Amino acid sequence: MPFDQALRFASIWLAATSFIGLTLGAGLPGWLAALTGAALIVAFLRNGGSKSVEQFAMAPPISTAGWNLLVIAGFLGFWIDMLWVSDELLPAGIHFLMVLMIVKLFNLKIRRDYLHLYAISLVAILTSGSLTTDLWYLPIFSLYLFAGVWTLLLFQLTKHTEETGTLTPSAPMRAPLHQSAGHVTPQLFWLANGLALLTFSLTLAIFFAIPRVSAGFYQKGFGENIRTSGFSETVNLGEIGPIKRDPSVVMRVELSDGARREAGRLYLRGVAFDQYDGKTWTNRMNYRRTVSEDGTGSFVLRGSRSPAQTPLGETIRQNIILEPLDTPVLFAAPFIETVSGKFPSVQSDPTGAVYLPFPSSSRIEYSVLSRSTPVLPADLSPEPGRYPESFTRHFLQTPVQSERITVLAKDITQTQRTAYEKANAIQSFLIHNFRYSLDAPLAELDHPLEEFLFSRKTGYCEHYATAMVMLLRTVGIPARLVTGFLATEWNEYGNYYVVRQQDAHAWVEVHLPYSGWITMDPTPPSIENAPDVYPAWHALGRIMDTVRLQWSRFFVQYSAADQLAVVRELKAGSTSARNKAFDSMSALFSPVLAMFGGITKYAATGTIRPLVEVLAILLIGIALLLWLGIKRPWVKGMVGKRMTRNEEVIAQLYGRMVQHLAGEGIPKRTTTGPLEFVHLAQAKWNDANSAVASITELYCRTRFGHIPLTQEELSLAEDHLRHLMALDKP
Amino acid sequence: MPLQYSSFTQRLFRGRSTRITSEGVQFLLFTLAIGIAAINTGNNLFYLLLAMMLSLILISGIVAEHSLRRLEFHRHLPDHLTVNEPANATLVVKNGKSRFPSFSLRLFDISEGRELGQSLEIRQLLPGASRLLSYPLVASRRGRLQLDGIRVGTEFPFGLFMKRALYPIDETVIVCPELKPINERLLQGLLTAGPEQIVNRRGHGNDLYNLRLYQAGDDSRKIHWPTTARTSQLTVRETEAEDQRRAVVSVPTVAPVSHDALFEQAVSIAASIIRVLAQRGYILQLVVGSSHSVFGQGDRHFLELLRMLALCERHPPHAGSILSGNQPREPLDAQGGTMIVVQSWLGPDDIEPMHPTILIDGAVIAGASHAV
Repeated sequence: MPFDQALRFASIWLAATSFIGLTLGAGLPGWLAALTGAALIVAFLRNGGSKSVEQFAMAPPISTAGWNLLVIAGFLGFWIDMLWVSDELLPAGIHFLMVLMIVKLFNLKIRRDYLHLYAISLVAILTSGSLTTDLWYLPIFSLYLFAGVWTLLLFQLTKHTEETGTLTPSAPMRAPLHQSAGHVTPQLFWLANGLALLTFSLTLAIFFAIPRVSAGFYQKGFGENIRTSGFSETVNLGEIGPIKRDPSVVMRVELSDGARREAGRLYLRGVAFDQYDGKTWTNRMNYRRTVSEDGTGSFVLRGSRSPAQTPLGETIRQNIILEPLDTPVLFAAPFIETVSGKFPSVQSDPTGAVYLPFPSSSRIEYSVLSRSTPVLPADLSPEPGRYPESFTRHFLQTPVQSERITVLAKDITQTQRTAYEKANAIQSFLIHNFRYSLDAPLAELDHPLEEFLFSRKTGYCEHYATAMVMLLRTVGIPARLVTGFLATEWNEYGNYYVVRQQDAHAWVEVHLPYSGWITMDPTPPSIENAPDVYPAWHALGRIMDTVRLQWSRFFVQYSAADQLAVVRELKAGSTSARNKAFDSMSALFSPVLAMFGGITKYAATGTIRPLVEVLAILLIGIALLLWLGIKRPWVKGMVGKRMTRNEEVIAQLYGRMVQHLAGEGIPKRTTTGPLEFVHLAQAKWNDANSAVASITELYCRTRFGHIPLTQEELSLAEDHLRHLMALDKP
Repeated sequence: MPLQYSSFTQRLFRGRSTRITSEGVQFLLFTLAIGIAAINTGNNLFYLLLAMMLSLILISGIVAEHSLRRLEFHRHLPDHLTVNEPANATLVVKNGKSRFPSFSLRLFDISEGRELGQSLEIRQLLPGASRLLSYPLVASRRGRLQLDGIRVGTEFPFGLFMKRALYPIDETVIVCPELKPINERLLQGLLTAGPEQIVNRRGHGNDLYNLRLYQAGDDSRKIHWPTTARTSQLTVRETEAEDQRRAVVSVPTVAPVSHDALFEQAVSIAASIIRVLAQRGYILQLVVGSSHSVFGQGDRHFLELLRMLALCERHPPHAGSILSGNQPREPLDAQGGTMIVVQSWLGPDDIEPMHPTILIDGAVIAGASHAV
C-alpha cells in the first residue's frame, strides 16, 4: 500500500478510535454519533478507492468556503448548545469537537489538515478519559496508541514528498502503484507494529513511575452514582423488589483467606430497622456518632453488641471494593468491629450500621474485621429473657394487626420451649410453606403482611423478613429487620464475591438473652435465580469481571500511596520486594492462573466442555490473527498481481528478444543465464549489445529483484527491442 | 581550552545533535497541557495519556539513534572542481546493521563545520543494503575544498525531532578558478600577438594533413566528399596546424587586502585566458608570483596550470616588495612567445580600480578591463 494511502487509513483509524471512545464515554446524541460515524465510513471508503464514493469525493457538494462557514455555524451552535440546550460547557464542547472532526474528515488535503485531525482526536480521547473509568477505555486506548504510532510514522515518511506541494485525496488513489513515493514494505509493517508494542510497554512503565502529585481525597466522580434502595432510614415494604432485577455490580468482597465461605453465602449487613407501621420500616435509632480512630488508622466500633464477656464468634476479615452508591452505608459481614480505609471519618448508629459522612462519588476500598455471633448454650434453656423497657419499645413493637397473625405465631411456637427454638420454628415455617417470587405486588395493599401470610403465600425477602420479625415480636422475642446484600456469586478467577444489585436482601436479627443478636434468614431459595444452563458465558463473565477489577486497582485507582508502598518495599529489602512483586504479578495474572487451575478442576469433574469451547474459540482466533499477521495473504496477493503484470510485459519483451537473437544465429541455451547470454551476444553481435544489455537488466530487475518497473522503463525496453530488430544481421 | 571542551562534548555526545521540528513543538505543547491536566485532576487516565506521549518522545530518541548507527559511507569526488560549476560526486551509503533498516535519512556534506549544498535523501535502507547516490557538488571559491565528513540526520520515526550524527570522512579536492567566456576584443588581441611557427602537426590550418574514416562527433563540414564517393565510406580530412604559438601568462600575487576580490578576478581571467589559448594549441607557461611552470601543452598541462592558479595566494605588499612581488626577479624569457600579464594591483597609486589590468607584451589591451 502506498504511504499516502496508508497515512489516510491510519488517520481515519485514529479519528474513529477517539470517536468510539467519546461515544462510549460521553454518550453522544444519536444524530451526532450517526453523522460522525457516517463521515468516518465515507472517508474510509473514499480512501479505499470505492468508485461511487470517489466520484462523490471528486465533486464535493460544498466548497472550501462552505466548509469554513460550516465551522463558523458549528461554533455558533456551540454557544447556543452551551447556553440553552446542554446548559454545560463539556457536552457542548464535545458536540462542537465532533462537528470539527466531520469537517476535517471531508477536508484532508494538506498536511495541516491532518495535524488538525490529530489534535481533534487527541482532545477527544482525552475527554473520553475524563468521562469514564470503565474497562473499555483500555482497548480503546491501546487501539488509539497503535493508530497514533502508525499515523505519526507515516506522517513523517510522507513529509518530504508533500513538502513541495499538496496532495489531493483522490489523486494517489487513481495513480498507479509504482508512481507512489513509497510503499509499506513488510519491514516497515513489522517495525511499526514493534514500535507500537514497545511504546505500549514503555507507556505502562512510565505510567506506574510518574509521581502522583495530586493530593485528592477521593477520586473524582464519574457520572452518576448507582441508585439503590432499602438503605435509608425509612423503607417501604416492597422497595427492594425493583432493584432485585438489576444485575449491576455494586461491590466485590475478598476474604482474608482467599477462599469461599463454606456455606457459599456471605451476608453483607447494611442497615437495621426497628419500627414497622404495617407498610413501612423505620430506624428510630438513627442517631449517629463518630467512630474513633486507633493508632493504626482503623476505626474501632466500641460498645459490645453481645452480652458475652469474651467474644466467641468467628472473625471474618474482608476487603471490600464498593462502587459509588447513593447511600453512605458501608456494607460488611455482621458484625463490624473495625473498619480501615481512606476515610476522613466513619459514623455508626446503635443498631451497628456503619456510615460514611456522605455517599462516595467514586469507587472506594475498605477493609473490615467482623465477628459473627454464635448461639451460646445458655440460650438453649427455657429461661425467658428480661429486657429493659427502652429495648422492648424498639424491638418488640408491633403495628395494629389482625388477630390471625397472633394466632399463627402461637400456633407455630406452641410446642417450642426456648426463644431460639421458637425463632427456628418460625424460620422453618416460612421457608417450607411459602414460595419465593419477585412478582408480588403487596405494597399497594392495605394489609400486605396478612395478604402475604394468609392469601398469596408468595413474596420475596422483605416479606419473609417482615413476617418473621412480626411473628417473633408477637411471641415476645426481640427482633429487627436488616437490609443488605447476600453474596452468593463467587469469582473463582479473582477469588472474591461479586455482589450485584439483584443480591440486595433483607433478613432478620433475633436477640437472644445471652448470645445477643444472631442472624436468621427465613427466605427460601429463589428458583428464579437458578444458574444458567450454559455456564461458559458465566465463566467468561467472571473472568472479565476480574480483569475489570484489576484494571480499576492498577490503573484507575493507582495512587501516590501505592507508589510509596512500592518504594518502601524496595527499601525494606530485595527479598520482600521480590515477594511483593511476585504477589502483585500473581494477582495480576491470577485470572489466567485460576482459569488454568479451573480447567484442571473442571476436567476432574467432567464439566470442561464449556470452558474448552470458549478457550478453543479464543485460541483459534489468536492463531488466525497471528497467521494473518505473518503470512499477510492480502499483501501477497496485491504484490503478486503487481509483479505479474510487470513480469508479463518485460518477460514477453525478453522472450521476443531471445527469439530474435536465436533467429540471428545466437541461440540461448537453457543452461545459459541472462547475464551470460548478454556477454555471448556481445561477443557475436557487438552492435546489439546495448539493446540486449538494457532489456536483460530490466528483465532481471523485475524477475529476480522484484522491483516494479515504471511505464517509462517498459517503453524504453520496447524501444530497445524495436531497435534490435531493425539492426542488420551480424 | 574551548577546542578541548568542544572535542570533549563531541566525544560525549558522539557528534549527535537534536533539533525539535515544528510538529515536535506542537506535540510537546500538547504533552505539557495533558501533564498539567493530569496533575490538576489526578485522573489516572490522563496520566496514561501523558505516559503515552512521553514514551513516544523516548522512542523517538531511541529509534532515531538506532537509525543513524552503523552506517558506512564511501565518497568519490572528481579530481578537481571549478568554481560555480557543478561536478558530479558519488556517495555510497551502506547500512551495516544486520537486522534493522534505516529510514528517512538526510545526508549533508560538511565543510568547515557547515552544510554544503542541498541534502540527499534516502527513504529506506534495508539491513546490509547499500545505496549509490550521485549529486552535484558546487564550490563557491577556489583553493582546497576540505570536506570534513557526512552529516546524516533523520526525523524518523515520528517526525518530532531531527536527530543528526556526523560521520567523519576527511577528503580534499582542488577547486580551480572560475572559467568565463573571454571578451572578443581581448581574444583578438591575444590571437594576433606573437610570431607564428609553422609545424607539421594536426591543427586548425588549411593544408591537408591526413584523411581518415569518419568518427562519431566529427564535424560534418570536414567530410571529404570525393574520397567518400570513391571509397563509399565517409571520410574526413584533417588539416595541418598553421602555427604553433607560445605564451607566458603571468599573475602577480602581491595586492593589498582591499584588492582581494580583484585578485580573485585576475586569477579567474588568467584561467579563462589559459583555457582559450590551450584550446588553440598554444604552448603555455604560467607564472604565479615567484613560481612558474614549464612550457607545455595538452590537457594534463592545462590542468596543472589550473591547479597552480587554484592554490595561489595573494600576498600583502610590504616595503620593497612591490616590484619584486608583482614582477619576476629576472625578466621572463617568453622564448619567442607572447607575454600576458593579468595584474590586480599596479602599485600604491592604484587605489580603487574596477577591473584587473591585462598587458600583452607590455601593452595594455584597450577594453580588456571588461575581459570576462
